[in-house]
Amino acid sequence: MSPVGVSGRGTLASSTPMISGRREKPFLLVVPTLGIVLCFTVFPIGYALVLSLRRFLLTQPWDTSFVGLRNYWEVITSDYFRASIASTFKFAALAVVCVLIYGGLVGLLLDARLWTSRLLQVLILLPWAIPPAIAGIMWKWIFHADYGAVNGFLVGLGLLKDYFPWLSTPSTARTCLVIAHVWKEGSLAAVLVLAGLQTIPRELRDAIFCDGGGPWTYFRHVVIPFLKPTLLVIAIYETMIAILTFDLVYVMTGGGPGNATALVSWYAYIESFRFLNFGHGAALSFTIAAVILVMILVYLRVLKTEEVY
Amino acid sequence: MFGRSRVLMAAVLALTCCFVAGTGYASGNVDLTFTAWSYGVETVNDNIAKFEQMYPGIKVAFSDFSWFDYHDIMATRFFSKTPTDVCYSSDHWLQEWAAAGWIVPLEDYFPWVRESKAEFAKYAVEGMTYNGKLYGVPYYADLMIFIYNEEMLKKAGFNQPPKTWEELAEQAKAMKAKGICNYPIIFEFGQQEGAANEVLISMVYSRKDGHMFNGLEPVFNKPGSAAAKTLEWITEGMQKSKIIDPASLTMAEIELVKSMQSGQHAFTILPKYNLAELNNPASSKLAGKFKMALMPGDTHETVGYVRFYAMTKMAVDRGKDVVDAVGKFIQYFGGKTNGKYIVEKRWAVEKGLGFAQLPLYDDPDVVKAINSWGDVKLELEQAKLARAKEGLSPFYGTWDLFVRTELHKAYLGQQSPQQVLDTCAKKWNEMRKK
Repeated sequence: MSPVGVSGRGTLASSTPMISGRREKPFLLVVPTLGIVLCFTVFPIGYALVLSLRRFLLTQPWDTSFVGLRNYWEVITSDYFRASIASTFKFAALAVVCVLIYGGLVGLLLDARLWTSRLLQVLILLPWAIPPAIAGIMWKWIFHADYGAVNGFLVGLGLLKDYFPWLSTPSTARTCLVIAHVWKEGSLAAVLVLAGLQTIPRELRDAIFCDGGGPWTYFRHVVIPFLKPTLLVIAIYETMIAILTFDLVYVMTGGGPGNATALVSWYAYIESFRFLNFGHGAALSFTIAAVILVMILVYLRVLKTEEVY
Repeated sequence: MFGRSRVLMAAVLALTCCFVAGTGYASGNVDLTFTAWSYGVETVNDNIAKFEQMYPGIKVAFSDFSWFDYHDIMATRFFSKTPTDVCYSSDHWLQEWAAAGWIVPLEDYFPWVRESKAEFAKYAVEGMTYNGKLYGVPYYADLMIFIYNEEMLKKAGFNQPPKTWEELAEQAKAMKAKGICNYPIIFEFGQQEGAANEVLISMVYSRKDGHMFNGLEPVFNKPGSAAAKTLEWITEGMQKSKIIDPASLTMAEIELVKSMQSGQHAFTILPKYNLAELNNPASSKLAGKFKMALMPGDTHETVGYVRFYAMTKMAVDRGKDVVDAVGKFIQYFGGKTNGKYIVEKRWAVEKGLGFAQLPLYDDPDVVKAINSWGDVKLELEQAKLARAKEGLSPFYGTWDLFVRTELHKAYLGQQSPQQVLDTCAKKWNEMRKK
């Protein structure tokens, strides 16, 4: 019999150090990871929470007094916040719809298994591999008022009489931002849709066609119901990404013209790093996080009620 | 056991050697950290190499950052105490940095700085002074100037550049009507562009009673003020007569220079040193066609601004050796070396940068360089009419950022010029109270 018994009081008592070592080992093993999480996740969040409750102007480091919820009140009641919420809503609504349409169409195209599918897959994934800041710079030059490719192309075709300042007009600037965003984000949506399409049993399609149904019937009664959960996941993810879009704004428009493209994430950046008001910036970040959290909960509730095929 | 103690002894010995070597180095040499925005980086590095040759005991670690992010990066560097001994600064940040205790008055540490003041342009001294003390020595100082394309002007049938804003509008309309260009006027009003408001203020200064502030009291929002007239003039040009390119709202300096060089615009306002680049045959087919004129308006006054070398509080905290080294650095880069402004002259001759060190206007090399792309007499005439920005205060930089967004609302016709000016004044008063 082994000195470490599986039963019996005396045996257990005699092997206490070893048993306790076993108990501690798992905890010891997670300590490094826990340390990293504490340092790089919990501490920054905690510190940001403290900042959001204090007056914290980088240019006046001598006064960091406790102000309670005043920072939250000040940012939420500011004109700029209202304007940025409106801009964000318009941008997110347009961007999510466009990404869904783009992803859906491209996914269907890839699923059609044409001879160009392989090449298309590479081309469509390419934007995803480009860093957002680089993509922003690229689109900025494409839409440039004086020597942009879009102007050159449209004037060359005779569709435009003169060069147009795309990024200097509020409505077109917002549209340009959406185009760049969809170009960047659409790849992921297309891949997810393609994955969803590939789970549809072939027999269903054959059955529809045998029963005299056409492509539209197949699309409406098979493809759409099968893709619904996938599209919902894409909608959740893309809504969050759209609300948090920052890089493209930073590079392409700088929030302008006026505050037409000043999304709420841009506002948080401006408050923190331009106005150097870290109290406001932190309060705003927590407000954005709370809004996104509520949205996720709503989406999850909707998802839960969905039938999963 | 014996082996372990030998290893320990060796380690202690090695550490001691390192310490001794370290202190030996520290007693004979000083390391300086110098931060600047990214402009002429090769020239800066070359200047540093020459400085280090002259002072072998000083080693300079140089870092540069984009102009667009420079202020924000520096503020976070100062706050987090990231080692920085000497840095570029600007007139519109001086009071913020000095009030926060990030930079120190140079004249308290280096007597030669006070003596040099007499040779600096008045607007530059004003832009580097806080609470009566000089905090900087100029890296460069320049004017916002009016630039026109002479060839396009002649094509439109005009022999003289415009003298007033009304004349400018007339000439631009004529140019547009003749199909010479679609938008004859373009400005750098991009929200990222630090000089966006300096352009507007120079247009305000050139008008009768052209003031933005009386002390720290805003006067720009008074009905019928020079600022209101200027804003109305721009809005009319952008929204109605369409002589001002709406792309101005996204333009920053470098893009604007390229747009002018593409021949699509005839008139603009830019910091003066850009005239050298506009007339540079290596980068423009239209080189030689760009001229400067006095700022149109009643008084022809304009903004004179200064960017300067500043010493940080961190350098002072590091001790006397470091302060002495910073003094030598600033004197070499912005002051006199063997009785001559070496680095300032180099910037002026090679890059066309303006300068606050007035004796340089008597230097034949400088005069020759300026005349190769501009007109030294006209430049001097405009320099005499240059004024520092009004209302410089610890919160000026932050207010300047706020104003850039608000002004767009007037340019786009979303709000009336008066509404926008009232919002800007309200913000100013709020910030002043805080």
